[in-house]
Amino acid sequence: MTPRQRRMTLVAVIVVGVSIASALALRAFRDNVMFYFDPTKVAAGEVKRGQRFRLGGMVVQGSLTRTPGTLNVSFAVTDFKNSVPVKYDQVLPDLFREGAGMVAYGRLDASGTFVADEVLAKHDEKYMPPELARSLKAGQAAAAGGAGGAPAAAGAAAAATPSTGGTQ
Amino acid sequence: MAWIWFHKLGSPPHFYRLAGRMTPWFAWPALLLCLGGLYGGLVSAPADYQQGEGFRIIYVHAPAAWLSVMIYSAMAVYAAVGRIWRINVCHALAASCAGIGASFTLVALVTGSLWGRPMWGTYWEWDPRLTSELVLLFLYLGYMGLRSAIDDTARADRASAVLAIVGAVNVPIIHYSVTWWNSLHQAPSVMKFGKSSMPASMLIPLLMMLLGFTLFFVAIMLVRARGEVLRRERGAQWVAEAAVEA
Amino acid sequence: MSTPVSAARAGWLLMRRDLRLAMRRPGEWLQPLGFFLVVMTLFPLAGNPQLSRLRDMAPAALWVAALLSSLLALEFLFREDGQDGTLEQLAVSGLPLSWLLLAKTCVHWLLTGLPLVLVGPLAATALGAPYASIPGVLVVLLVGSLALSLIGAVGAALTLGLRRGGVLLALLVLPLAVPVLIFGARASALAIALEPMAGSIYLLGSIAVLSATLAPLAAAAAMRISLE
Repeated sequence: MTPRQRRMTLVAVIVVGVSIASALALRAFRDNVMFYFDPTKVAAGEVKRGQRFRLGGMVVQGSLTRTPGTLNVSFAVTDFKNSVPVKYDQVLPDLFREGAGMVAYGRLDASGTFVADEVLAKHDEKYMPPELARSLKAGQAAAAGGAGGAPAAAGAAAAATPSTGGTQ
Repeated sequence: MAWIWFHKLGSPPHFYRLAGRMTPWFAWPALLLCLGGLYGGLVSAPADYQQGEGFRIIYVHAPAAWLSVMIYSAMAVYAAVGRIWRINVCHALAASCAGIGASFTLVALVTGSLWGRPMWGTYWEWDPRLTSELVLLFLYLGYMGLRSAIDDTARADRASAVLAIVGAVNVPIIHYSVTWWNSLHQAPSVMKFGKSSMPASMLIPLLMMLLGFTLFFVAIMLVRARGEVLRRERGAQWVAEAAVEA
Repeated sequence: MSTPVSAARAGWLLMRRDLRLAMRRPGEWLQPLGFFLVVMTLFPLAGNPQLSRLRDMAPAALWVAALLSSLLALEFLFREDGQDGTLEQLAVSGLPLSWLLLAKTCVHWLLTGLPLVLVGPLAATALGAPYASIPGVLVVLLVGSLALSLIGAVGAALTLGLRRGGVLLALLVLPLAVPVLIFGARASALAIALEPMAGSIYLLGSIAVLSATLAPLAAAAAMRISLE
């Protein structure tokens, strides 16, 4: 082989190899190798009872209830299509809010409730002063005719979904 | 003709003098920007609506994380340029990047961990972003280890260049990990198209810190690269002359 | 060399030679296998030997053991040929060095990777994985161990002939092997739970194809530096 032919072969091999690898990677991302399961996947029965997994989603507004005298809390987690009830018996992180994102470790029990043994709060990439947040919320609530926390939840939802425009 | 400056830059004595003259032009603005950014970030910026005062750690964490990746890319580019065009000064620059990059990676990991505890509820999570940043630290350490294991400088240059270039596959993984895997780590706030998700009172100190850290890195890199060039050229005539001048 | 040999034939001859040499020195490829089995048996001793707990641990044990044993095996990849000058001959033969190193790496995988692929699923069943999971775990190990051998070849070529080469080899190869470890362990966990694992297999396959394309080039570049 002449050096020229050799160089062309090399380039061809690299191009073919890299394109096969990217095709496989794209195929893999369609099968979603996600960091956590969302409630729709749980509802579709993709998780087996008793298997430990990560559940991710938004805490439903108004769903957080505490049992007085204990640390026990229960709330619902949603991806705006389905929701899953969650039980937890330890201290929640500071940033844990209704309408904000969270990730929890745990298992499904027989009744389909997610029993968490660790709850993490996922915060979004938005930063603003508290006064601005209050006035924004007030403005939105007024516009929505007193629909309560719904606008805030929608805003947070937009932040929690993987932001498509969030890359350089 | 247009390439003469490039080749001139590659000559050690020229680089040594130029780097020495340029260092203060990076160091002083870096100091001023960091002081201004720290004041703006820690004192004059308002607290965050969700994270309260705790969010201020972003003013150290984000610049350090940005530099950890940027320095690796710079190191890989220097290594590649040094390898392809056989420019010794580029290898010296790559070598002086590694230690700085490893330090910033460590700072990013430690500050991120301190930030994660109050906000997420955990110091460490085996999340794609955090894991790939940790891998970056190991890559820096491997690079430095390989360099120190080879006595012959020219061979160390070429071998570590191969490693730096191979390791560069990790850079896009770190950057896109947040988007690809829907990770616990939040999406970028500053570096995206369109509107930044921060008001100006918070954003301007952050940008000052980003720029300040970057200039600081360039200044330190130049100082270290000068030392590295001197070490490599220790037998040369110009080094003796430079020593007499100084 | 009197008659010019085609690259394909040279690769084939090199593979045959390496295989024959390895057959005369079984210790080199039996050692990593033995090491793998010992590490696998250490997990139930150190952890909770209850079968259901072991099953949760099995993917991690499998992959940590496989990674460590492949690291151990990497030391042998180029050592002998580096010491007796064979690698120099290959480098000046006029044939593409990356191709020849790919052939050598393939033989290395046949000797040290394939035994793990065959024994690994059985070891996993000993840790409580169901028998039905054997094919799945086998496929995952097959793809993953190929990627590990290819990535490792770069590290082995870089550290060829260095003092303290072994520790440095681990330091260089481990970060690059992390993606294989993560997706391999995840795919085996899915396989052991008898769940669909196509996504992770595709990703592992992508890593393997990419390393098969680029790792021999990097290894050849590193080899030329090490041989100077």
